[in-house]
Amino acid sequence: MGWMALAILAGLLVYFQMSISEPAAKKRAVFKTFIGIVATLLLFMAIANYKNNFYGENRLLPVSLVIITVSTFVMALYFTNLSALLKIGGLMFFVAAFLSGYGNWLPQVEGGFPPVEEKKTWDSMTPQQLADEGEKIIFGGVGKNKEQGAIGKGQCPLCHAFHAGMLGERAPNLAGLPGRGKERLEDPKYSKGNPSKREYEAKEAFPGSGTAENAQEYIAESHACPSCYVVAGYGVKGTNDKQSPMPSIHKPPISLSLPELAAVDTWMYLREGIDAPSFEEIVKSYEKFIPEADRPKQADEKPAGATSLLADGSEPIDQIFAKGQCISCHTIPGIPGAVGTIGPKLEEGTTAPQRIKDPAYKGTAKSPTEYIMESIVDPSAYVVKPFPDNTMPKIFGQKLSAGALKKIVDYLSQVKTGAPPPKI
Amino acid sequence: MGLLAGKRVFSIMALCMMVGLLLLPIVVALPSLAIGEEAPAGDAAKKDGDKVEKGRDVYYKTEGIVVGAPAPKTVDGPRDYPRYNFESRVLLWFANQQHLYYGSFVLAVPIFCMIIEFMGVVTKDKALAKRYDQLAYDFIKISLTAYSLTAILGGILIFTFLTLYPAFFSYLSGIFRIFRPVMHIYALMFVAESGTLYIYYYGWDKMREGFLKWIHLSMSVILNIIGTLLMFLANSWIGFMMSPAGVDEQGRYLGNIWHVIHTALWNPLNLHRILGNMAFGGGVVAAYAAYKFLASKTDEDRAHYDWMGYIAMALGVAFLIPLPFAGYWLMREVYAYRQQMGITLMGGLLAWLFIIQATMIGILFLSTNYYLWQAMGRMRGAEKYQRYIKYLVFILACGYMVFITPHTMVMTPAELKAMGGQQHPVLGNYGVMSAKNGGINVIITTTVLSFVWYMRGNKVSTVSWAKFGNIFMGIFFACAYFNIIFLAVYGYYIPANVRVGLSVPQVATTLSCLFFMFALNSVMMKGAKQMGPIEWGKISARSQYALIMLATAFTWMMGLMGYIRSSVRLFWHVNEIMRDNSPWAYTHTVGFAANMISFNVLFFWITILFVFWLGSLGAKKVPVESKAGIPGSIPQPVASH
Repeated sequence: MGWMALAILAGLLVYFQMSISEPAAKKRAVFKTFIGIVATLLLFMAIANYKNNFYGENRLLPVSLVIITVSTFVMALYFTNLSALLKIGGLMFFVAAFLSGYGNWLPQVEGGFPPVEEKKTWDSMTPQQLADEGEKIIFGGVGKNKEQGAIGKGQCPLCHAFHAGMLGERAPNLAGLPGRGKERLEDPKYSKGNPSKREYEAKEAFPGSGTAENAQEYIAESHACPSCYVVAGYGVKGTNDKQSPMPSIHKPPISLSLPELAAVDTWMYLREGIDAPSFEEIVKSYEKFIPEADRPKQADEKPAGATSLLADGSEPIDQIFAKGQCISCHTIPGIPGAVGTIGPKLEEGTTAPQRIKDPAYKGTAKSPTEYIMESIVDPSAYVVKPFPDNTMPKIFGQKLSAGALKKIVDYLSQVKTGAPPPKI
Repeated sequence: MGLLAGKRVFSIMALCMMVGLLLLPIVVALPSLAIGEEAPAGDAAKKDGDKVEKGRDVYYKTEGIVVGAPAPKTVDGPRDYPRYNFESRVLLWFANQQHLYYGSFVLAVPIFCMIIEFMGVVTKDKALAKRYDQLAYDFIKISLTAYSLTAILGGILIFTFLTLYPAFFSYLSGIFRIFRPVMHIYALMFVAESGTLYIYYYGWDKMREGFLKWIHLSMSVILNIIGTLLMFLANSWIGFMMSPAGVDEQGRYLGNIWHVIHTALWNPLNLHRILGNMAFGGGVVAAYAAYKFLASKTDEDRAHYDWMGYIAMALGVAFLIPLPFAGYWLMREVYAYRQQMGITLMGGLLAWLFIIQATMIGILFLSTNYYLWQAMGRMRGAEKYQRYIKYLVFILACGYMVFITPHTMVMTPAELKAMGGQQHPVLGNYGVMSAKNGGINVIITTTVLSFVWYMRGNKVSTVSWAKFGNIFMGIFFACAYFNIIFLAVYGYYIPANVRVGLSVPQVATTLSCLFFMFALNSVMMKGAKQMGPIEWGKISARSQYALIMLATAFTWMMGLMGYIRSSVRLFWHVNEIMRDNSPWAYTHTVGFAANMISFNVLFFWITILFVFWLGSLGAKKVPVESKAGIPGSIPQPVASH
């Protein structure tokens, strides 16, 4: 098409040579045609560039618009009849080029494809398939159970260890759980068959649910009602092990559905080389402790778009603390339920400036907000005495969105010792 | 006088009757449509015994009998997503945007016509009345060619939907019953709109005088009512796509058409679009006038088009100023509907586009101010203000720089680590919300000041308290600037959650300036002594390029905001109801979007310039007598004096 336009212009050039006799007029006509040819060349160069870079990564597309701007202004100089139109067009192209260039200069963020919509048919899965789903829920992927910091939707590794010999500071190590379940039932404190005699904060999962009768039911009950029985040494500090720091897994923010819980349990059995109860049996064990109204919907019925983030920053601050499980280990003034004592009390408005000045501080933070951010994404940069190092997971930099981190930092920097906590 | 008043009352009554009769079928039809949709289900239920299936409205949470089929679950393939060897979404984007540009233009221009024709009818100055009338006629003439192009582009849009997104379109339109009745009403109203427009345009000369003129004016009101209703109906589709209602979780229609139309975002969208269309229409007409001004060969023509450009600009800016507030309302409703949607817009995936928007808002206000300063050059007596313009430039530049400085941006953890925190080491200290609000409020207040100076440019107040009034105005503006800037700085010393609240006193200050200062200035300038006439046409060519800049920036911003609004649905055709399973269910980069918007903007302008050129082919010379008054009588445009 470009050649056609150029051919027409070349034809005009020849035509003017032949048809115009007056030398001055001929010269003017030839000159204008020449300008037209140059402008047309520029125009088609611009179009070719536009076409080639339409999906390109090199961000040169606005160059086309600049070329067109230049050619229109050049034309406007010589074609006085159309001068106004050409100048206006040139300005418009310039504005568009500027804005396009601006858009291309900014950081390029592309929204990824949505997660694949797959309908899981839990009840027709083989035990191994079910176990794989369980491993994904616990660790975020199949084969990730030995990976440091791997964490899935269930968030279990935030507190529990899963392999023999690993440190279980905040919650019991779950290696060997299926076999241990029976032993727990025999513990007098468990009070099997007689929940009213329990000395824990909760007597039953819900009125009339009773106690577990077998190992699977014990696992189900400990997920649904963690404070119905607390393993010695793992209760909330100061409650004499009467209350568990663990949230009910079927309730927000974790909200695992019954089939998901069945998948988790199946993995727990299979990885020990033990045959798991059937899917139906496991689901039934949960139904005993979770009333129908409290059962969350299955994950695949929810709107898609879930990410692997614990919190994406859209939540109110108290929910971010809950979803990140911060409340299990830390006491945070002003946040309901944040009474953990495994980590230090978070009054960073007062403590952060002091810690930066501490000679033992080797981190890079220069301001309290930087210190708070650092202590979340790199907890070992400075460890508050007398708490041990490596207790806090190092995954929060990846598992909390930038927005969620900002909200946490904003909030904590306002918490001061002796002052009323900031409003949520 | 009494006869004239009687005629006015009569014409208003006639107008009310006409509107009433026009709307009657729709009012009658709406409930019957809703009931009519339920009836077959009721019959079917009787036949099948008690097999009435009920569904729960996803938004209104009411129960209703299921009468539609569920939203189709599409799969990527030629059945649901037939395609050319090109991205279907981009083709649809193009068709949609062009239709919207033209649609907005032809909806906005009749509103201008109505206002200007009304001014012509009520003004006592005969020569000026004729000029207003001629201007209104010129406006409608421009829109007439664009009108047929709008219809053609609408057809292209529907064909694009039908051929590239058949499953989605059939869900919305036909077999799933969602919008079937609405679409028919829409089509019928389009016919009514066309009929009224043609009578309005071709009857202009016949209905030029007396009572017939009032009837003619009434027709413009009807035309605008129909046009606005048309737009509301079209908005209900995009409202449904963003925030569906009237259907259950599976997308099955529950028989209440009002729920489907009246979704969470429908009304904010309606208001935002009316104001946006007006600002856009003003921009396009101003650009047309600028083009004609620059191409004019005679002083008379230049005077006419200078005046036309000024009025179009003033009307456009008058609707631009409330636009951000309508935007706030829309955004608040978005947050109320789905907080996640709001976060995606303002603090997530699409946040960079709002940085571009901030830049554009700055460009719009800077262009407006520049035009006003240039326009002061055609007034004798305005020289006294011109030496202060450099200070306004300084204030505007400072406000603009603060306004476009980002504070926090969405980042990946890796980027976060690389930067050493959420905030940039240098910029992070600036650009908090109160400061940015301060920036834009300073810009708007300065624009108000420019307008006030322009309005009193060639006048000296003759009221006895003029001196006191001037001092009061000066102090008022000084206090306003102080309050806005003080709050902007104060924001740095208080926590983020408290800082958010500062926007209210800042905006209140700006609005106080806008309303009180305009009102006070108008009172002071009533019966003012004129230092000299406004010499229409004696304005610099640069000012006309400012108008063109304004128009192009409006167009670009409209494309940008439309893209943002549409892409916030992410991978849903209908949010949370019907998923987009095409290969294009991802969000483009900012750069690609900017290129595409530029393409759309330029295509629109190339075609509309063609439309202008077409219009000029058939243009008859403006009657000489209508311009006779130019040198002697100073026109008093609506928004200026």
